[in-house]
Amino acid sequence: MALSCLTRALRSLTLSQPALLSSQTPVVQLKLGTLVPSTVSQCRGFLTTASLKHNRAYLKQLDKYTIRPIGIKKSGGRDHTGKIRTRGIGGGHKQKHRWVDFQRLRYEPNKEGQPFEEKVVEVRYDPCRSADIALLAGGNRKRWIVATEKMQAGDIIKTSGVIGRMAVSANEGDAYPLGALPVGTLVNNLEIQPGRGSKYIRAAGTSGVLLRKVNGTAIVQLPSKQQVQVLETCIVTVGRVSNIDHNKRIIGKAGRNRWLGIRPSSGLWKRKGGWAGRKIKPLPPMKNYVNLPSISAN
Amino acid sequence: MTLICKRKYPPSSLQTRRNLRVSHCFAARVPPQKKPREKVEIPGLEMVTYGDRMHYVPGLAKPVYPPWEMSFKDPRYYRSPPAQEMALYKDKPCYVFNQRTSILEGVRQAAWLTKTHVRPGLLPHLVSLAAKPENQLPDQDERVQNAIKHSRFWDTTEPRPRKEKYSNTLLLNLLHLCATLQPTHPAVGRRILAENYSLAATWKRGEDLFQIRGRNGLLHCSMDPLPRICGEQEVLETSDQVLESFYPVSPTIDLQQVSVYKEEMNCTGFRGEYPYPHAHTLYFLETSDPNCQLRPEQFRAKMIMFTFGNALARAHKLYGTQPQSLLERPITVQAVGTNGRIFQFLVFQLNTTDLSGDDGIKNQAWLDEDVELYDFAKVRPFIKRKEVKVPAGLAGYKPETFSKFLALYLHGAA
Repeated sequence: MALSCLTRALRSLTLSQPALLSSQTPVVQLKLGTLVPSTVSQCRGFLTTASLKHNRAYLKQLDKYTIRPIGIKKSGGRDHTGKIRTRGIGGGHKQKHRWVDFQRLRYEPNKEGQPFEEKVVEVRYDPCRSADIALLAGGNRKRWIVATEKMQAGDIIKTSGVIGRMAVSANEGDAYPLGALPVGTLVNNLEIQPGRGSKYIRAAGTSGVLLRKVNGTAIVQLPSKQQVQVLETCIVTVGRVSNIDHNKRIIGKAGRNRWLGIRPSSGLWKRKGGWAGRKIKPLPPMKNYVNLPSISAN
Repeated sequence: MTLICKRKYPPSSLQTRRNLRVSHCFAARVPPQKKPREKVEIPGLEMVTYGDRMHYVPGLAKPVYPPWEMSFKDPRYYRSPPAQEMALYKDKPCYVFNQRTSILEGVRQAAWLTKTHVRPGLLPHLVSLAAKPENQLPDQDERVQNAIKHSRFWDTTEPRPRKEKYSNTLLLNLLHLCATLQPTHPAVGRRILAENYSLAATWKRGEDLFQIRGRNGLLHCSMDPLPRICGEQEVLETSDQVLESFYPVSPTIDLQQVSVYKEEMNCTGFRGEYPYPHAHTLYFLETSDPNCQLRPEQFRAKMIMFTFGNALARAHKLYGTQPQSLLERPITVQAVGTNGRIFQFLVFQLNTTDLSGDDGIKNQAWLDEDVELYDFAKVRPFIKRKEVKVPAGLAGYKPETFSKFLALYLHGAA
């Protein structure tokens, strides 16, 4: 099949007019004494035998969960049209993506509904996020999760979806619904809709505080002091996220920023507008996620 | 007045050249996927298609044809049916251990799966076999050191040989040295080496079915079985020992789950009346495959599993596939694993094929872990701060390791 592709492409080169792409149309300004570049790329490129799956960035198109690290292509801040969408991104060390399972309460195929325990196999650095990640092994499967502050290899971590009448005295690293935790616990990896996976409080050293529980909902204060009201069946992990000294690190030199993939900003001096400077303003009103349809409504 | 448009072209040095060396796309982002229009199917209403007209007509539906199948069977274009439609499909999955499996809990998990009690260190009567003067080679130390130097230094035209090469050469050299004892020990001549044979063994543990399949490496097989190592009394005492459990990790973790399998698949690797039916020693080398790099713990677990597999396949052939709680003649198999410098010795005795429960008589294994043959074999001396820390050449040779190797080799012959 690859050979037929090749012969078809080569045949098209010889028989038809070579396809001239507009970006390659050369207009050579002939000047006296200069040589005309004779080898102009007027040929139509063709696909060779490389596997077609490398034609696309397929990091986000995988469906089966795996703990094997997946290679990622660097985007450089460019979108699918090729233009820069986000400035200041580019270069940096190569990174492999470890697929972190943010839905902590994920049951194994035949064991729905029961709280389960998992063992921490290792805690390691993740180049794709500021926090460390932990490899959990439980039952027949292994998965990566965001590690909490004092998690170490060999710990046993509990995950439960049951809300009892009494609040549970939770150990660090365990995951419970908000309704089962006592008020005032430090939490992280907060889900705002039950079953959707955690979207908030995942950065290194962050933690939210469970402020109060109000009939069927719970109010959590995020690290930005914003308060959020969510259903009490949303699962959270107890404790602070790992790598707590992340904000105290000193970059030290411009090169270290380049290793992290951060390109320098433009050095042009621009007058700062109304957005700059310290602002002292009241807290925004509490964001309520309770009335939105949850995943179970589909 | 005409407008003169000036179009600026990029200077010739900056012309975009199509990169023909690479045929994948460079962009890391994909364009957002457009959801195709939903096709509404109204039962009973026949869609008017442009199939009859043989060309596209806007407004008519796309004709749907049944998938084309070749009228004859061509092995180049055969698509296998999905697992559910295969003839050997079963609802209950089977857990398969193959030569690339790396199990999480290592030796503990292998011991649970094979219902084995693992003891550290080899039995003294085995080790003392090689201490007898008639079981030793003339100039033993010198010849072993020459064998190591050959494999580590002399066997290549490059500065240093690669790991898979030198570990293989070292193992074959050591086997050759042991085989030179054939004139004094005629039973050594009743053995042969076999490579790349496919092993298969099936057993039930609890409610799960387990299989071990694969090619493990070099096998030393003989015409006579190995004698039993452990007395009957100790075998009966193993029923008091408890297998280690490692909750919350299930013992089937990292094993390949298959739904299409043959039940009662037992094969020693050889057909019919093979003249050397008894497995004597298995030799394991570390593979060069980057996808399955086994850590020492997982390597030892692989040794235990394959030794057990060989013993079980032999037991099924001799005594049938019905589980037996005590074999009157326990089957003994040995194993040696190496990475070129560090050796792992294993002696396994299969006492029972009744593996479904956790209690009862268990199998026994004696495992000698991480025995070094030599400390360093440096091509260039290791110099730190102008001091030679490790000289070039072979350093730190330990003769006890080869005597253990020789003892396992001569077990059953001396």
